[in-house]
Amino acid sequence: MISDIDLAHQAASGDEAAFETLVRRYQGNVRGLCRRLTRHSAEADDVAQATFLMAWRKIGAYRGGSFKSWICTIAYREFLQARRKKKFEVEFDEQVHVLGFDSLAARLPQQMDLDRGLRLLPENQRICVVLCVASGMSHSEAAAATGFPLGTVKSHVNRGVAALRKQLASEHVA
Amino acid sequence: MQNDERYEDLTALFEAQDEGLQNEVFVKNVMKPIRRRSRWRTPILFGAGGVGLGAALSEIGGLWTYLRAQTPTQFEADFSVSLNALPTANVALDMTSIWAIAVVFMVMTCAVLVMTERA
Repeated sequence: MISDIDLAHQAASGDEAAFETLVRRYQGNVRGLCRRLTRHSAEADDVAQATFLMAWRKIGAYRGGSFKSWICTIAYREFLQARRKKKFEVEFDEQVHVLGFDSLAARLPQQMDLDRGLRLLPENQRICVVLCVASGMSHSEAAAATGFPLGTVKSHVNRGVAALRKQLASEHVA
Repeated sequence: MQNDERYEDLTALFEAQDEGLQNEVFVKNVMKPIRRRSRWRTPILFGAGGVGLGAALSEIGGLWTYLRAQTPTQFEADFSVSLNALPTANVALDMTSIWAIAVVFMVMTCAVLVMTERA
């Protein structure tokens, strides 16, 4: 399997097929991240598409390291930009959200609890949990992406993870 | 990743969700504008550069004809450049320089456009 950095170099020299491979490889991560941030599947896919278009333009700036973290940082910025343009609904529309992950929800009931637990977190906590726990970014990468101090990110992640675990445990008991 | 050991159970659940989001239609939607843009960008940029280069070359050709018409008269006089012809020659050279600068500028602009678009 060709490495991400090799594909990125090929894409930077104009190889669309190489970039398509990267899109195929990371679409799930980016779309999942966008859905967790926006909580609306349609808007999430718009943000995800904008993310990959931006990545295509900026692929020459990718200097190695985790491609997933790099693309997730772009996705987070695109999310902020989209949110500035259009204020997403604060109220959670469970039906729309379930549509995003419905096939998985049918297979893994625990996924529903996870989504429910995630939406109960305060926004900044949710963002840090989504970036670090769901998207695999390090605390320092998440701090750089969000602009939050490193200590704040760690604190948000710790509290968010504890709250998520508590939520999952209570759902299972109930 | 340094944080994995502390919440790898949750990460595994999120990854399972992400794996379920693989969709060929999404990939096609992403790649469509990229392919369309790539198809038109190169001909437009190089077309603009070619027009600029052609215009510059045509001016240089005109200048050569002008110089050929002027030079014998000056040499026939007394092998020296007359004071009247000197400013004209300067203007002609300035025009060439301007065109050369314009061509370099256009080529550089096209190159910068391509590079910044991909940087």
